Amino acid sequence: MGFDISFFLVALREAIKYTPVTLFLALSALLVGIVVGLGLAVARVFQLRVLATLSRVYVVLIKGIPLVIILLLLYMTMTRMFDDIAKALHLTVRSKDIDLVWVAALALSLWSIANIAELLRGALLSVGKGQYEAAYSVGLSRRQTLFRIILPQAVPVSLPMLCNTLIGLIKWSSIAFVISCVDLLNGALIAATDNYRFLEAYVAAALVYWGLNLSVEQMSHQLEKRLTRYRKEAIH
Amino acid sequence: MLNGLFDPATVFIYLPRLLSKLPVTLLIVVTATLLGAAGGMLLALVRLFRTPVLNQAAVVYISFMRGTPIVVQLFLVFYGVPWLLDHVGIDINRWDKLFFVILTYTLNTAAFKAEVFRAALQSVPSGQAEAAYAVGLTRLQCFRRIIAPQALLIALPSLGTGLAALLQDTSLAYTLGIIDVMGQVHAIASGTNRMLEGYVGAAIIFLTLSVALEKGFGRIEANLLIKRHH
Repeated sequence: MGFDISFFLVALREAIKYTPVTLFLALSALLVGIVVGLGLAVARVFQLRVLATLSRVYVVLIKGIPLVIILLLLYMTMTRMFDDIAKALHLTVRSKDIDLVWVAALALSLWSIANIAELLRGALLSVGKGQYEAAYSVGLSRRQTLFRIILPQAVPVSLPMLCNTLIGLIKWSSIAFVISCVDLLNGALIAATDNYRFLEAYVAAALVYWGLNLSVEQMSHQLEKRLTRYRKEAIH
Repeated sequence: MLNGLFDPATVFIYLPRLLSKLPVTLLIVVTATLLGAAGGMLLALVRLFRTPVLNQAAVVYISFMRGTPIVVQLFLVFYGVPWLLDHVGIDINRWDKLFFVILTYTLNTAAFKAEVFRAALQSVPSGQAEAAYAVGLTRLQCFRRIIAPQALLIALPSLGTGLAALLQDTSLAYTLGIIDVMGQVHAIASGTNRMLEGYVGAAIIFLTLSVALEKGFGRIEANLLIKRHH
């Protein structure tokens, strides 16, 4: 069986057509991850009692349980519980009416929160202790210290790592195919269900993923260049 | 509302049956780690010595492996390798699926380890090699006795993270029909409405393993650091 170039091009077109779904999954999870992850990281750095412990347990759980299991667990509980709740409330909406993209986005968000919480914690701690002490000594409050002194220094440190997280999210979004959510990968695969030319479909999907991640990497390099240039100027 | 949705007792009935397939998961992890480390070291040396042609090939290979999802790689290897070998007259279509799974994870691990090794080897100061040559060590001796031990220590945390990531990645081998821990969930629970308990059981196993792995690596690191300071 040869490699069917013309079908490969069909699969490639399908993969590109559904790329926005993949980008939506990855970017929405990144956004949620930054907002909630920052909260968890701050809780741990400032040692807020209950929240810090919760945050630690959360990170261990999410990093220890494979994302595909989290996705499947969410999918099963959400679809079943949703129907029960909807019935109890006499709503006509059923789980089959929900777009599965949201289930996948939720699973990816849970994963990205844990990852970003960890990397932001590292970035916050990388700002010297003296910076905190100096801020407090001139009478800044905790909040002022965080937003005016610490974050402006921690954000440049964390940007390359955030780009890595985005690459991870783009790659992991591919597991949405296990709950039949139509993303980049599934778009290419659906095109192949009639003729069983799966090799062509997977090659097409792989190339699109590769292209996406290479562009994120390029972006990351550009950002890093700009940020380090800024830092050098500050030293002189 | 939760009636009939989740039955904790079933999790415990499932656990022994899931654990019986743990050796398959571990086989994938251990084989891919060992073979991947060897492949990664080769790739790292090719990159460091800037071997012509091979160096460029290594860059593209590493970039592809790091830039595409593991689930796509699994199927690319499963469909692609027999197709490639078919052209040179070798028929491996009927080989065990486990072979293709282990091959995929090995190829993937090698790419990630190559970067870890390269960074670690580069981070050993060049004065170390110069000193070793000055006292008359050969190139091989210098690498084995001076550079490699220091590089390994630097690489250790990344190797730990890599192993944990590989363990997580193996959870996708079931998509190819492998009966490992995840595959067993589908084998024993599909057709029943007790899938949820199966996934929870698998989650418990993976969680325990990864916590144990982290503790283990933490201990090794602490031990080595103490030795270095003495």
